[in-house]
Amino acid sequence: MSALNNLIVKVGRSVGGVVGTLYQAGRDSVDTVIRNVIPFMAFISFIIGLILTTGIGDWIAEGLKGSASTLPGLLAISVVCAIPLISPLLGPGAVIAQIVGTLLGVEIGKGNIPAQYSLPALFAINPQVGCDFIPVGLALGEAEPATVEVGVPAVLFSRLVTGPLSVVIAYFASFGLYSNN
Amino acid sequence: MNLHSLILLSADVTVEKQDGILGALATGAEEFIAVFNEGGKVLLSLMGGILPTLIVLLTAVNALVRLIGPEKIENLGKAAARPGLQWYPVRYIVLPFVAVFVLTNPMAYTMGRFLPERFKPAFYDSAVSFVHPILGIFPHANPGELFVYVGIATGIQQLGYGLGDLAVRYLLVGLVVIFIRGIVTEIITARMMKKGA
Repeated sequence: MSALNNLIVKVGRSVGGVVGTLYQAGRDSVDTVIRNVIPFMAFISFIIGLILTTGIGDWIAEGLKGSASTLPGLLAISVVCAIPLISPLLGPGAVIAQIVGTLLGVEIGKGNIPAQYSLPALFAINPQVGCDFIPVGLALGEAEPATVEVGVPAVLFSRLVTGPLSVVIAYFASFGLYSNN
Repeated sequence: MNLHSLILLSADVTVEKQDGILGALATGAEEFIAVFNEGGKVLLSLMGGILPTLIVLLTAVNALVRLIGPEKIENLGKAAARPGLQWYPVRYIVLPFVAVFVLTNPMAYTMGRFLPERFKPAFYDSAVSFVHPILGIFPHANPGELFVYVGIATGIQQLGYGLGDLAVRYLLVGLVVIFIRGIVTEIITARMMKKGA
């Protein structure tokens, strides 16, 4: 009888554990969406509204069309974003990358930028990823102060090489992407 | 709107001026509110489009990570610390991927604590460069910065194409890029450490 009791308690406990975990996971994800995702959607929606209804859109389109629909143009964007003095300024919250990504998305949607350029563009707008966060990121990895001192410039200079390189790789990987229309 | 401007142009100053100003104000007000109407439409399409899927996916992956337990990946961190060529892919592809997937941004960088000092900047570089390429398929890893990917993906969607191809390629190219980035940064770090010592 006590064995049966134990079994029931065990089953009950583990089922309760799983349900509790799922419920907590749901609570976490709704929390994230309300605190991080929806505010950004609101902000982005305002910017897109502004772009679509005012003349700003055409102005940006002219600027982006030339640079974002050729490989050299994308490379130029990535080099600018990877310059060691600029990249930490562009980094925080990936806000710049998100805005530029959205602008490019609008232009791709309108057909001003070919769809297969979406892949290299994703890398061109983002060589600065995490450049603002290097000391904190290294501290999270329990790095010594001496490592941080070397690590910050090491990552920044590495981006000058790997930023444009990532665009080239993505460019070659984009062959055949959305081109069979 | 054209009518208003016509009235303004041909206005008899004393009588029509008020109308003209009011007309211009009305036009201005309409244009003002049109910006927010358009923005509202975009917001609604975003909230109706990706948000429900995102919430369900976030819940499922969060639950999975909780059930597995983040501490399980510590062994992987210890394996990645080993020297030798064959451990490079583990250190700069597998470990960043698993760390970003399981621990998400920014806790993924804590996996660096298992590595020797000379690998830490390279691992950070590798891991932080993966927090966006993963978004196309696993948005739970970095939901606060979703629009790096979603911004461009929205344009693809408007053209009527599927997003699967772009998401998969973004992830795969991302893996190649973080591997190269890890190696390059490791070399630069080694040189700078030598110079400093």
